[in-house]
Amino acid sequence: MAADSTSTAPSGSAISVAEQLEQLGAARKLVLENATYYDRIVKGVLPIIGPTAPVELRRWGAEFLAESLATPVLTMRDKENITVAVLDTIRGLLDAPGEDVIVLKASIAAAASAYPVAVRWIINNSYHTESWEQMSAVKSRILRIWDGAPVPVKLSCIKFAQRVVLAQTASNGTEQKYNGLDISLNMIPPNHPLLDPRQLEAEATGLLDRMLGVLQDNSSDALLVDATINCLSILTRSRPNTSNRILNTVLNFNPLKLANSPMTPKTRVLVRSLEKTTRMFLTHLLRRDPNNPLSGRIQQYVERLMRSRAEIFDEAGRKRALADQTATGYGDAKRQKVEAGVPQFSVPPLGPGPHTLAGVFTLTNNAGLQAFDATQLPANLAAKIGVRTLAALDQNVLDLAVNGIRDRLTSLHAAGAAAAAAAQPAVMNAATAPLGVDEDDDDYEPDLTPAEDTEQILNKLDNAPPEEAMGQPADAGAEMALGPFSLPPPPTLDPDAAAKLSQAAASRVFGPLSTLKDPGAAVRKPKAGINRLAASSYDRDSWLTLITRLATRSTAGLDSAPGTGGNGIKSEEDALDRPRASLGDSIRELLFTYILEDWRRRIEIAVAWLCEEWYNDQLTKRNGTGGELNYEKCALRLVDGFLSYITAQDKVLTRFLAEIPELSAPLLGKLKALCADPTTVQLALTSLLYLVMMRPPVREIALDTVAEIWTEYEDARPLAAKYLVKWRPGFIESQTRGTGSDAAPANNMAIAT
Amino acid sequence: METTNGTAGSAATAPNGQQEDASGFKLKFCTVCASNQNRSMEGHLRLAQANYPVISFGTGSLVRLPGPTITQPNVYKFNETSYDSIYRELEAKDPRLYRANGLLNMLGRNRVIKWGPERWQDWQVGMPRVKHEKDQGSIGMEAGVPDIVITCEERCWDAVVDDLLNRGSPLNRPVHVINIDIKDNHQDASIGGGAMVDLADSLNRAAMEERDKVGAAVFDAGGAASRASFDERVPEVLGEWQERWPSLPSTWTLSWF
Repeated sequence: MAADSTSTAPSGSAISVAEQLEQLGAARKLVLENATYYDRIVKGVLPIIGPTAPVELRRWGAEFLAESLATPVLTMRDKENITVAVLDTIRGLLDAPGEDVIVLKASIAAAASAYPVAVRWIINNSYHTESWEQMSAVKSRILRIWDGAPVPVKLSCIKFAQRVVLAQTASNGTEQKYNGLDISLNMIPPNHPLLDPRQLEAEATGLLDRMLGVLQDNSSDALLVDATINCLSILTRSRPNTSNRILNTVLNFNPLKLANSPMTPKTRVLVRSLEKTTRMFLTHLLRRDPNNPLSGRIQQYVERLMRSRAEIFDEAGRKRALADQTATGYGDAKRQKVEAGVPQFSVPPLGPGPHTLAGVFTLTNNAGLQAFDATQLPANLAAKIGVRTLAALDQNVLDLAVNGIRDRLTSLHAAGAAAAAAAQPAVMNAATAPLGVDEDDDDYEPDLTPAEDTEQILNKLDNAPPEEAMGQPADAGAEMALGPFSLPPPPTLDPDAAAKLSQAAASRVFGPLSTLKDPGAAVRKPKAGINRLAASSYDRDSWLTLITRLATRSTAGLDSAPGTGGNGIKSEEDALDRPRASLGDSIRELLFTYILEDWRRRIEIAVAWLCEEWYNDQLTKRNGTGGELNYEKCALRLVDGFLSYITAQDKVLTRFLAEIPELSAPLLGKLKALCADPTTVQLALTSLLYLVMMRPPVREIALDTVAEIWTEYEDARPLAAKYLVKWRPGFIESQTRGTGSDAAPANNMAIAT
Repeated sequence: METTNGTAGSAATAPNGQQEDASGFKLKFCTVCASNQNRSMEGHLRLAQANYPVISFGTGSLVRLPGPTITQPNVYKFNETSYDSIYRELEAKDPRLYRANGLLNMLGRNRVIKWGPERWQDWQVGMPRVKHEKDQGSIGMEAGVPDIVITCEERCWDAVVDDLLNRGSPLNRPVHVINIDIKDNHQDASIGGGAMVDLADSLNRAAMEERDKVGAAVFDAGGAASRASFDERVPEVLGEWQERWPSLPSTWTLSWF
């Protein structure tokens, strides 16, 4: 019956094309149901679908081959068998002159799936030169017809080229081991008889350039551009050698070029597609690989693209408006717009229906801003924004906004009263009720409009369950009658609480230290010398300077002087207050702890602090107010603090003693304790020797200390004697003479000589 | 533009009249929305009724349906929950509410279309769908690879395109991904379903015209607008469709499976 229509069938006994297609369809269904038949059926149909078959069969065949070589149900091994078997047929279909577009398109797609499989086969079966020759012939045929081919064929050629590049460049192993995506240059041994990795890589580089050509020419052929960009992502991600080349090309591509031509419905689709596809590709890469060195540029590009797109589609609307008023000149229209810019601000009245409290206070029409959940902002940031905005806001605009909201409230109140009379719950319309309950969509929360302050935010928070719209008429009226809101007065502070709070305040001063970076020894910046400002930059050093000055100077002269102070009468309350530490003292206490936590590294801070204390003491002395002097106290406390931890290696002691502004006998006397331990004798004495040599003003005190050590510590005598002989000649003689000892002089003599 | 419009118009009548039955070439479609419940299922049904092979998916992380309040949605897992079980659960919970908001009606429709909501990201493209012969629109979809993906929301289009980029296009098969912005309610879904069928008809007509042109003539003498291939005509068809459906903004790209 069907044979009538295909009376031109080659052989008399042959069945018609339609019947054949039906049989082939049944065969296809069979392999889809059971993959084990693939091998047999693919090989079985090859003779029927060859280059000499009718075009319907060739189309079916080419599409079936493309489908079979791509199917995810077959293993790599199964695919190798099929691929080797079908290469000849694919080659025949591609080589036929004037082949049908659909046949070509599908055959090239089949070749694209076959290519990585063939490469893998050849890697492991290098003797099989025939297959590789066939694959190479297919490849060169495809690359030859690429340029002049109709668009659908070109699309397939692009994809084929992409698979060749993928197979012939080095992988970083991040791709899925799936469908041949993981076959790469890494798998080809350097001494393979058929495959020369260098040559293959060179070919891949050339092909990639050819693929990217469409972007380099800044083509507006959205089909080819989209097809290219949409297959570049796996190359960029998993083939590092291609990544820079691809990204640079895409970043130099301008998808909005077409927007300059007149906007027909088709160009609108094309412009949007080019822009969106490019942007999706780049944001995809940003998300997968945020550490990409080019990510900064990508980010900029994406932002720029979104801006210009908004302009283009916005522009299109505006141009039409402009064209309408052709009577006025261009210049006039422009000037008008600028002038109108400032006071143009109106609060749109609320539409009918229930409103959330947030809705009532919302001024913006921007859907994105309306969806913004202001409660996500940390309170301090929200407060900052509020204060800034209020400070910068034009009074007129604020008045307009306030009046607008007031109008809304009035109208709502009126509506509420009217509805109360009707007293009917709103009926939900099942047909138009939104079904979208997606995770991103529960933004019924208020948005942060520019004129919003913290009080409004607080009010909205009070309005907590966001879905409670103000539809209920009775509530609406009541809720709208907002009285003036006043903050309750702060509770009165008693002295203890105040002390506690100032203690807390002081400890917060130290907070930033842990976060501020230590510039470290490596990046020693040049000292600014005398011109240095105490805290000119926000680094650790500056902050420490600030802390030390807070401790020493902020309250100097403000804290009452010890004892009777100025007026000589000590009130009872004053007496009670006495044990409380002043703010300066609590900071001192914390600073002391801070230094001792890591005193070896923080000795510099200790010196800086003591310098400040000393300076402050000098000022106090000069003023003659009889204020408390802190330097000596702090210095002794510090030395006491770290002396107990000191070891023989701690040369910082020498440095500390050399750098602090003033030394006293009691302070140096502390060093004597070190001499009780034989390991630290040397450290104590060298530190003293350094002072003797380098700080003439304290030479005498230092030598006195050495002398005391000589007297008090038997074990330290040899070394102490050595210094004394040099710097205080005659001392030992006078001592020995006095005591008439025998052992010591012998020792001394030995050293002195 | 006038010429292309003209050819499209004249071509519109002939094949439409003769190819309204299930035979003849049919493009394969895939509809996608967030939860694979409302918009994509409406599209699935309408396209299946128009005899197109069609499958449908959701791109969300979970199937979310409205609950008693906005903060208490009904949440289900993709691929593991059937429309029927959701129907029975909601009916047991509060038949009045879920009938009033149209959920039971929708689920009742869905459960005769296919077994349950499927997630796009979990779908293995190209896996034969021979076990789905009871699904509406399954005829012609046995190989499990559509030609056209229609999403119902920009966010879903983004998810689909991004997912395809992520998969790395292992199948070497081109696919047109088209977004149509449809609001997520029953009324708009119904309108959107009609618009989808209109788009499918227009696209299928272009595809059939391509297949009617056979052989070397195309290869040698291509170029004239009337000779343009199906792929090339997609943006044009979509542009014309957009003129007819101005309230459903669309986006398109050519991607790869």
